[in-house]
Amino acid sequence: MSGAPPTVMPILATPLGVASIPDSEQINSALCGLFAQRIAADHRPQRNPLRFSSTDDLMEWPQPPVRQLAHAMLGAVYSMVGSLNEFTEAQLRSFKLEARAWFTVVRTNGSVPAASYPLTSWCAIYCVAAPPLSEDRADSGVVRLYESRLGTMFQDASNSTMRVPYTQSHYVWRPVAGEMVIFPASLTHEIALLRAGGELTLVTARIRFTAPGQQGLGRW
Amino acid sequence: MVGSAIKVHPLFATPFAEVRLPACERLNRELATLFLQRETDEHRNPTPSHVPQAETFESRFNLFRWTDACVQELRGFMLNAVAQMVMATTSLKAEDLARLTFQNHTWFHISRYAGSFVAHNHPLASWSAVYCVRAGESVPQHPDSGVLRFLDVRQGANAYLDPANASLHRAFALTPLEFKLEAGQMVIFPSYVFHEVAPFYGSDTRITVATNCWFA
Repeated sequence: MSGAPPTVMPILATPLGVASIPDSEQINSALCGLFAQRIAADHRPQRNPLRFSSTDDLMEWPQPPVRQLAHAMLGAVYSMVGSLNEFTEAQLRSFKLEARAWFTVVRTNGSVPAASYPLTSWCAIYCVAAPPLSEDRADSGVVRLYESRLGTMFQDASNSTMRVPYTQSHYVWRPVAGEMVIFPASLTHEIALLRAGGELTLVTARIRFTAPGQQGLGRW
Repeated sequence: MVGSAIKVHPLFATPFAEVRLPACERLNRELATLFLQRETDEHRNPTPSHVPQAETFESRFNLFRWTDACVQELRGFMLNAVAQMVMATTSLKAEDLARLTFQNHTWFHISRYAGSFVAHNHPLASWSAVYCVRAGESVPQHPDSGVLRFLDVRQGANAYLDPANASLHRAFALTPLEFKLEAGQMVIFPSYVFHEVAPFYGSDTRITVATNCWFA
């Protein structure tokens, strides 16, 4: 082996954005109260007693903490989209943004099954509240983004322990109150089983943009 | 709309087989007893590839080397079914297979309340199979308790949906495939297919045997 080392670059990469929401402690406290009221008043049958999912109209709620959160989440998505493209500010603002969002409360031993979102470009998940870490389960309550590349079937000593972003396995993001993650909505993801005591409260938004004159986006 | 009828072909299809072991009660009883006896550190997989969890016991991968009669009986059933699958989906005949070395890693899982297994596939194997020894308690409020879920290999194919592709027939559907395995039932699939076990919420145990096979 000789010569200069090769320049290694991530190609075919998946963008993942992580952002913190300003003044999140105050917002989160208010959101928890609002969500508790909604849960108490919601008599729809829930598919799983270990998690609660609201209706997906959260972005339309008028309460100030929800408006603050919506503004911050969508601002972060705009920022991420801007950083990934060559749009001018005027071009970016000419796009019509559409979003559906809901909150989910995951209880101990609960989880959210794997999903991806059709007709959606970006998925954002914001953490309102997270229980303490589980001492014996490192993946308790994480957002697990599934491996989506096809080259995982042949592994040997040289490619089975590669570093992020080249590692051939799922990627996990641990929800921390006040932080959010943004990724392509086509990426299958789940909320892993929550092993810690307490509740994990998340707000999930599916987002897309319509350019002036664009057609073909069906209704959600 | 006029014109001749079109012929629809399943391109890029994923072969998938389901087979049932008839009169499996005695064998499953013996297997369950044996596995529960050997749910010990001596038989635990010492090098798990995923985050281990207390609610799901995973044995070493040498199950089919055990000499117990019930294990060997299951071995015959499972590996024969995999061989049938290979012949059904390739041009290989029995005599071709007989010239190959048929290798396997085989293990059992015992899942208790909230036990699950993260989505994964099996590199360096061609065919995988899962046999159900005991389905475990069915829990009405958790309809997907313990389901074996296969993820669509056509990643991203469901990113654009409209009324014309949102309800395709099962062979073409852009959704995961879920199996609530019953005792004696086995599924066989290509090892590249990502699959997972949803959390099991029964109060008893769910017991399965899985095998990865390769030929050389």
